[in-house]
Amino acid sequence: MTEVSEVKRTTLINTLFPSVVSGVLLGVIGAVIGGVLVSRLVENNNDATLVAIYTGWVLFFFIGIGAFNGVWKWGLDRRDATIEEDYQMAGKGQGRWRYFRYTTDHKVVGMQYLVTVLILFFFGSMGAFMIRLEQSMPGAIFFTPSTYNTIVGMHGILMIVSTIIMVSGPFGNFILPIMIGARDMAFPRLNALSYWLLFAAIPIFLSTLFVGGFPTGWTGYAPLADQSLTPGMDAYCFTIIVFAISTTIAALNIVTTVVVMRTSGMTWGRLPIFVWGVILSVILGLTAFPSFIISQVMVLMDRVFRTAFFIAAFGGSNWLYEHLFWFMGHPEVYVIALPAMAVAAEVATVFTRKPLFGYRLMISGLVGITVLSVLVWGHHLYTSGSATALDGPYMLDTELISIPTGLFFLCMIGTFWRGKIWATAPLLFVGGMLVNFVIGGITGIYLADLPTDELLHGGMFVTAHFHFTLVGSMVFGFFAGFYFWFPKMVGRRLDPLLSKIHFWLFEIGFLGTFLSLFYAGLQGEPRWSANVAPPFATANLIASLFAILIAASVFVLVYNVVTSYLRGEVATADEWGGKTLEWTVPTPVPLENFEKLPVVTSLPYNYGTPIPAKESATADTGFEAPLQPQAES
Amino acid sequence: MPEENINENTGSEIPDQPGASNDVPAPSTPITQAGPDRSETHHFRNVILLWIALSIIGMLLVGFFGSSFFPPTASDVGNSANFTFVLLSVLSIPVALFVFVFLGYSMFAFRVKERPTEDGFPIHPTPALQIGWLGITSVLCLFLVIYGLFAFFQESVAAPSNTLVVEVTGQQWLWTFNYPQYGVSSQGQVLELPVNRPVVFHVTSKDVLHGFAVRDLGVRVDANPGEMTVTSVVTPNTIGSYTVVCVELCGLYHSYMWSAVKVESDSSFNSWILSQGGHL
Repeated sequence: MTEVSEVKRTTLINTLFPSVVSGVLLGVIGAVIGGVLVSRLVENNNDATLVAIYTGWVLFFFIGIGAFNGVWKWGLDRRDATIEEDYQMAGKGQGRWRYFRYTTDHKVVGMQYLVTVLILFFFGSMGAFMIRLEQSMPGAIFFTPSTYNTIVGMHGILMIVSTIIMVSGPFGNFILPIMIGARDMAFPRLNALSYWLLFAAIPIFLSTLFVGGFPTGWTGYAPLADQSLTPGMDAYCFTIIVFAISTTIAALNIVTTVVVMRTSGMTWGRLPIFVWGVILSVILGLTAFPSFIISQVMVLMDRVFRTAFFIAAFGGSNWLYEHLFWFMGHPEVYVIALPAMAVAAEVATVFTRKPLFGYRLMISGLVGITVLSVLVWGHHLYTSGSATALDGPYMLDTELISIPTGLFFLCMIGTFWRGKIWATAPLLFVGGMLVNFVIGGITGIYLADLPTDELLHGGMFVTAHFHFTLVGSMVFGFFAGFYFWFPKMVGRRLDPLLSKIHFWLFEIGFLGTFLSLFYAGLQGEPRWSANVAPPFATANLIASLFAILIAASVFVLVYNVVTSYLRGEVATADEWGGKTLEWTVPTPVPLENFEKLPVVTSLPYNYGTPIPAKESATADTGFEAPLQPQAES
Repeated sequence: MPEENINENTGSEIPDQPGASNDVPAPSTPITQAGPDRSETHHFRNVILLWIALSIIGMLLVGFFGSSFFPPTASDVGNSANFTFVLLSVLSIPVALFVFVFLGYSMFAFRVKERPTEDGFPIHPTPALQIGWLGITSVLCLFLVIYGLFAFFQESVAAPSNTLVVEVTGQQWLWTFNYPQYGVSSQGQVLELPVNRPVVFHVTSKDVLHGFAVRDLGVRVDANPGEMTVTSVVTPNTIGSYTVVCVELCGLYHSYMWSAVKVESDSSFNSWILSQGGHL
């Protein structure tokens, strides 16, 4: 008896340590130690104490979750991990619990990202509905101005963070390695690190609620961010730093994986378009995010060490912050856009049963966007008075981006043309994305053009424009991918009817809400305003009423995901008739993905061309992917 | 166009590649051009006709009724900006409709009820289409840039000699207006402007970034701490009451940082200056 309980106890200890439980436990201890130490050492500096608490939390969280175990085990031992240890790290035989550990398997990391993104979306959308509630009537009647500003800022940051990772995180980790025929990412342990850094940033961000929130909105403009009345700002800055490090690590990992881990025959000219979208996006992120980290480090130094990077009275400049921020901020929207556009292209080929119309044309479009988008950030500073002489060149570059974006539209329309269009939820989301993206793109012209931007800058028109691009286009692209790959990732089918209801509620609600806000913006309504002035009241009320449809769509999605996860139909290996490699492996995908690495001989879009089985992409896996007619609903 | 001639050397070194020796390059798959298929030409004609018809209707509607979407402006700058709005909107109608019509037509005409058992017709863009598309989008884009620069530089004319200078200072959370030519300051009160006289605003801030905006006059510029930004010369041309709003998030009471603007006749403006203790 004692022997059995002894065994049980060791298994329990082995299960809990290391895991997220021990991580959080140690993290809290570390936070307390850091906070107490620094508040004793440095008096009257709340910001220093807060930063110490956050630093303690992150460091001890990673000790607790076992991120440094490799240093003891292999670093000091001067040996490599054995195969068994690698399998152990990848979560072999650990059941569901592997999702709560420092697990290196790319599929586990992908699922962790997916669940995190969905939860962040949920909370972010709750913020959005609170904003719509406040703006439904003139006058600030539901929230105090300080609460409202915090809600706006939290909504913004939650959504920006989750849209940055929404495609590259879940699908870039789960699907991409299988798509290129790899057994895992290039650096599996860095992969786990990138996810858990994101995880560690979430409690830091939420802590802002307990220290008074922050007044700056998602942009965190200094010198407003330097004002010492708002300790919640420290949480914002620290969150951004941790998040940007996480994203940088993930980006390096994805780039390396695509460069060196492609299977035999997977040349650059045969890469699925999704892989192109993700790699271009993360390369762009690698150029953009360092300035984001730097800007937040500088704000924290202003706050903690009383430097004056952004305080004019001591020789600083708010323009410095604006430039650092938007040097990240505009490429960042393309970091979000590129993979979502690529998902849409990937989904479109499968559900029209056609090769991608102009594979290379679309790649050149995506590359063009990547290159041009590095130099457009100045259009956020048209009215700032900084470097007015450069307004012309910034305008030129901003409007040049419409040319490669036009190539994307040509390729998408061409792919739909004469296809066998199977209008499932993923395809509906692609269609919705194209409609919204046209509107978002065209309204961008008014903001890129100097004479009209002079009227619209900082107004509701801007808000509506970037919601059309980020939500209407890119989040729709994410949902296309979500409905497309859910059966592969989870092994269950989502209910098709509920999926379509989700789409239609979302699309109609979205169009109604943000078209109304375009109108309010044209009338001159300023952004970030809790107190809606009477001339804009009707448009705002209509927007808020339509937002109810979006809220309903969120709950339809939650219901659909939960019930399908619990008791949905079991999905087949090739759920939709896709030809990329992820559909050739069994569902659920086994550890290391492939028994034998496949050899690729052509693009994965050979629809409509009768190709002998020998030459198809799956020829050497011994796994045929015929188009079995299956009832979809 | 053979796919295998792009970068065969991938540098990938995966230890176990069982199929490596079988890696026969695929025979070149010729691009299937969109052939002169009868049903295709019929669909194509339909969709082009639909696009042209809808575009004409849309452009006419926007051209005639587009300006009713904008509030009436009370200055020369505002008027020219509203004209630019309508012009850009008319131009963007056919662009947007191109996507909407092709997408909508495809969704209705090529839709299949069940999971498709056969593939769609594989088409690829011809070089003529690629070059034509690039050419048209480039011309549209260049037009936008040239027109935008032209309209922008038209606004930045030198200030005439009778220009009124108003110094605007933002602080959390009110505006102060100084009239250095008259020795008058109106803190947190009203911005009074004489009608039909050019005015230029010198804008700065005491603490954080603010945004000085009067929608009806077409004025919008940031108020930077420690820097002075100067707007282009604006001539208010309609007597009436308007609003200054702050358009950069500046903290707690940002939503309340409004001031009234009064555009009035010369004589009312002069008597107001005197009533504030200024000199003419």
